[in-house]
Amino acid sequence: MGLKIIVCIKSVIVNPANQSVVRTSDSCELNPFDRPALEQALRMKEAMGGTVTALSMGPESSAFTLHEAMAMGVDHGVLVSDPALVGSDTLATSTVLAAALKRLEPFDLAFFGTRSADSDTGHVGPQTAVLLDLPMVTWAHSIESSETGLLVERRIDGFLERYELPFPSMLTFHPNSVEPRDLGLSGINGAFEEGEIQRWGLSDLDLSPSVVGEKGSPTRVLSLSRAHSTKKCEFLDGTAEEQVEELLRRLLDSGLIG
Amino acid sequence: MDTFLTDKNRAVRRSVRAFCERELGPIAKEIDQEASFPWEVVEKMGKLGYFGIQVPKTLGGAGMDSVSYIIVIEEISRVCAGLGLCVTVHNSVGVYPLLAFGSEEQKKKWVPPLARGEKIGAFCFTEPNAGSDTAGIEATAIRNGNHYLVNANKVFVTNGGVADVCLIFARTDPNAGRKGISVIVAERGTPGFVVGDLEDLCGVRSNPVSSIRLYDSQLPLENLLGKEGMGLRIGLTALDAGRIGIAAQAVGIAQAALEEGVRYAKQRRQFGAPIAKHQAVTMMIADMATQVEAARLLTFRSAVLRDQGKPFTKESAMAKLYASEASSKVTDMAVQIHGGYGYSKAYPVERYYRDARVTRIYEGTSEVHHLVIARGVLEE
Repeated sequence: MGLKIIVCIKSVIVNPANQSVVRTSDSCELNPFDRPALEQALRMKEAMGGTVTALSMGPESSAFTLHEAMAMGVDHGVLVSDPALVGSDTLATSTVLAAALKRLEPFDLAFFGTRSADSDTGHVGPQTAVLLDLPMVTWAHSIESSETGLLVERRIDGFLERYELPFPSMLTFHPNSVEPRDLGLSGINGAFEEGEIQRWGLSDLDLSPSVVGEKGSPTRVLSLSRAHSTKKCEFLDGTAEEQVEELLRRLLDSGLIG
Repeated sequence: MDTFLTDKNRAVRRSVRAFCERELGPIAKEIDQEASFPWEVVEKMGKLGYFGIQVPKTLGGAGMDSVSYIIVIEEISRVCAGLGLCVTVHNSVGVYPLLAFGSEEQKKKWVPPLARGEKIGAFCFTEPNAGSDTAGIEATAIRNGNHYLVNANKVFVTNGGVADVCLIFARTDPNAGRKGISVIVAERGTPGFVVGDLEDLCGVRSNPVSSIRLYDSQLPLENLLGKEGMGLRIGLTALDAGRIGIAAQAVGIAQAALEEGVRYAKQRRQFGAPIAKHQAVTMMIADMATQVEAARLLTFRSAVLRDQGKPFTKESAMAKLYASEASSKVTDMAVQIHGGYGYSKAYPVERYYRDARVTRIYEGTSEVHHLVIARGVLEE
């Protein structure tokens, strides 16, 4: 039989936007935090058989990202796109993804990245799990199948947690949990020349316009502008060893490593 | 330029760039200095299809178009010109002649391992007395029973030090002039097959360019590619396509030099301002960017013509001539913008400058390409 795995992915903005966000295939890329989720799904499929479907909500330019996922080895791509979705916050997005996942039922697993590289909220995965009333483990490091479901390892703040999950359930993956594969030329050729993407609008999901887009979004972005940060260069004194010690101490203190 | 690309082309650029920056970027300087061939990266490239870019899927390749091809070569060369050279020569003049002129048996035997990068191909044409003078080939392949007795002294063989499958241009009929040249496939390991010392080159040093010699090697008759006497036709057909790849390599080197020139010009401060604010430097930046883009567009046009099945001999000659000359000029300007630091190995532009120089020489010199272009124009 094999598993039916859905990976929810996002096309993110490559460069910081100025005022308004224009999404095209040139200005967007697959959210780097989604790559480990795709890789985990593809490895599970290779080990246990089944299919992997990539699901994305976004404008038509997101089709590029779905094709990239297909170039990695994903079997199906589904794009939920509708003018009514413009302005959706994370809750509205989760509402749409939950409806799309419902339509894709029955599935065994639904994966997410931990967060998106452009808006960085980390809301969408957990919110979608709540809306579907499915169990979810976030920041998973490794997974293996058990007789009754899935064994999941989660490393966080120096602790190692192990969970057993039933099917269906949902996961977000630690960005460093796995090294995502590179896109091979043959995969790119097949995905972009022959890969078909299923397109759904709001009416396909039986959703009212009032629960999505700006109307369905309790949060609102009031303005968007480029943040200016000042960089300063500092030279450390001492011997090479002392400098390394000092550098490590500062990186640890600032929480950048460790 | 990006305006003309398909989403597939863009995905190719993005994925090859990411791979090369991650895998080749950190070692590009070292493999240039040590003149070493990065097998680990080459193996990964093989798995990603870089060694069978336009080979049909049925023979283990990626089945890509020519535009995607030039993008792959440009992106590899932008990071490491020696590897860009390895990949383009392997694909265009190593594998393509087997696809275009090989029998079904020959294709099945040699192409799949070449397309997967498990074996490396080489084009053994140049001899001490034959390069631009294509008919000057002295190597011989004398039919003797069920084999050819081959004697050859091939020099400046790109990939020579690592090549497994070599196309040897030799005279099967010593008295037939240009029509007496044929192509025989020689595999490394054949008795009498000797790889000479690696050339200590000025640039593209990660490519193991060497001589390859055959001393009384007995090669089976079924190793003949096409028919006897077809050698020059096979060679010139391969080079028509091959020089699109060299043009793309030259564009990649020039693009890298442009990026480094711009980066340095914005950082380096003199007379109280970044040198990018000085008009003399901006003139160079403008010339560099314009020449890179013009070279890229000419290369793109020849690739599109090839994809459309239209003649592209003159156009690919124009692309190769312009791109190689532009690459030399652009890398020279990048050195100039860097001043004394540009002449130091502390910065990568001196490498680009050395790498660019040879693109005006191999796969047809600039002078030969002037002749090809003029012939094409005058015949119209």
